[in-house]
Amino acid sequence: MLDTMETLCCLSGVTGGEDEVRDYILERAMPHADEIKTDPLGNLMVFKKGARTPDRRVMLCAHMDEVGLIITNITPDGFLHFDQAGGIDRRVLLGKQVFIGPERVPGVIGCKAVHMTTAEQRKNVPAMGEMFIDIGADSREQAQNVIALGDLAAFSDTIVRFGDGFIKAKAIDDRAGCAVMLELLESDLPCDCWFAFTVQEEVGTRGATVAARSIQPEVVLVLEGTTAADVPGGDRENPVCCLGKGVVIPFMDRGTIYDRTLFKTLCRLADENGIAWQTKTRIAGGTDGSAFQRGCAGAQVAAVSVPVRNIHSPSSIAKVQECEDQYRMARLFLEEMAK
Amino acid sequence: MELTELTRSLSGLPGPSGFEEPVWRWIGDYLRPVADEVKTDALGNMIALKRCGKPGAKTVLLDAHMDEIGFVVTGIQDGFLRFGMLGGVDQRMLPAREVLVLSDPPLFGVIDVLPPHVLTAEEKKHAFEADKLCIDVGLSQQQAEQQVPLGTPVVYANSFTQLGENQLCGKALDDRACAAIIIKAFERLCAQELNADVYCLVSTQEEVGHRGATVAAWNIQPDVALVVDVTHGKTPDGQDAPCVCGKGAAIGIGPNMNAALTKELFALAKERGITHQTEVVPGGNSGTNAHAIQVARTGVVTALISLPLKYMHTPVEVVCREDMDAIVELLAAYVESMEV
Repeated sequence: MLDTMETLCCLSGVTGGEDEVRDYILERAMPHADEIKTDPLGNLMVFKKGARTPDRRVMLCAHMDEVGLIITNITPDGFLHFDQAGGIDRRVLLGKQVFIGPERVPGVIGCKAVHMTTAEQRKNVPAMGEMFIDIGADSREQAQNVIALGDLAAFSDTIVRFGDGFIKAKAIDDRAGCAVMLELLESDLPCDCWFAFTVQEEVGTRGATVAARSIQPEVVLVLEGTTAADVPGGDRENPVCCLGKGVVIPFMDRGTIYDRTLFKTLCRLADENGIAWQTKTRIAGGTDGSAFQRGCAGAQVAAVSVPVRNIHSPSSIAKVQECEDQYRMARLFLEEMAK
Repeated sequence: MELTELTRSLSGLPGPSGFEEPVWRWIGDYLRPVADEVKTDALGNMIALKRCGKPGAKTVLLDAHMDEIGFVVTGIQDGFLRFGMLGGVDQRMLPAREVLVLSDPPLFGVIDVLPPHVLTAEEKKHAFEADKLCIDVGLSQQQAEQQVPLGTPVVYANSFTQLGENQLCGKALDDRACAAIIIKAFERLCAQELNADVYCLVSTQEEVGHRGATVAAWNIQPDVALVVDVTHGKTPDGQDAPCVCGKGAAIGIGPNMNAALTKELFALAKERGITHQTEVVPGGNSGTNAHAIQVARTGVVTALISLPLKYMHTPVEVVCREDMDAIVELLAAYVESMEV
């Protein structure tokens, strides 16, 4: 499970360029699938039969895309300007390594030396439009040999396991969910299930919007990575959720009021099976759930998420146990649907 | 070791100011087979000597510093490490930054930030303030207290890469790229007959005020010193930088440098076809070890040769390999041209 997640986190899949992730998942899912669909946006939808056929069409969902950068301009002296693909706090970008385009050209987001700045400048961070990537090119022509406008740049992909069961990687949001679904696909299922690996979640649940119409699911469980603010400097009374306190079963976020019955079912399943869980203590963020809930004739939607620190940054952190528990929760959910 | 590989190895060693032991140990092991003598002193300066064996020969010193900027653990809160700075850290480099905590054994860590979801638009306008940030090593308070004593140094995680065809990128290239340069020049000089005794000094604590070089220069008492450090290379947002990456060795001119020696270096670079540029350094302080060495004992004939570097004091410092070659060439050419 964790190996699968690590492999997935290393792949490049910046919003709008999820091909590498989709190809990998497709190859592994193919031998286990009863039906496979793709669509013009690039969603990958896989159906697998289980021991039982439930009354309702059940679906699990995770998004393949990650936040990253998109190259918008090359300066005459060979530096690259960029914009964000998905929501990024520009303050996590300075001094970071990125890999650009299908050839993974290495670059760094530079910034003039601290010695050359004023005290006022050091208190502020340049606008994203003023930042640039240095790929070691001397001229626009040289840069154009390896870079094209519109190329996507992903954060550095080193994975580190550290501390008391933690993992650091880019794109844990939401390769964690993709890994759970892939592992489930490779196992025997308690009931028939659709698996939607969606695109473009980070720019407004674009992939899920159309996937909902292709599959028209009636019950959906979204598997996500969610914001944790449990670090010093934050509101100690309200850290949204905490690493180490279990998987997150949200009742509501900015996109969705989750189905109350399913929410309660998930809480009960966690309790009965000794799986630590928490809920989000702040109405923040959103998931593909909103698109599935209101797609076509509507669906009952719930979510199980892994808490992630430094989400949408190159160095996101999750707790290994919670990634594994997300898998257990998804399986318990399918067992429940089989009843 | 080939120059790029040597730079890669040195860049990866952890050694912030005052905590350079892994660096001087490594360099000592590297130089012992080639030098006549290798020693360290009370501050950890790594001093290698090659004698020419000629009576009355002058002593020439090559200097570059081994220390890098970094952090030091000052407290532990809920398992997260509070830290202070070692040297001139840019606080804007810290959010979501990967670091190596130099405890025994070393621990991987990330400087955590609050997610944008819980911050106001006003809060997001400003840089995260360094004194409010902490290092996440994934440990509880009790575990962290056991494993990370206060005063433990911390460095940026290693991230050496090649950019494009001839640029090198990583942490601590200020000044390990120059350490690699003087080591290469020293190796080359060791293999030939010379007219001067050559010291290769890789010094400590430059980033906190040229402290290592101050005592090493007193001890060595050189006749001539060639100090090699980095200088700012131009970037899109830093057009006022004094030098340009890729345009060769930057020879410093100003009161911190001996005028005759500087002139000699320009002439030599021209004569040998070594790519070079001029860096004008007004005032008495070049901000390098030349500041300390020039006034060591009763005074030292000192020159400053700089390697242009982009994004100084960040974890992604960038230098041009060809500039490094040019400096190796210039240093060796100067010593080779010395007469008894």
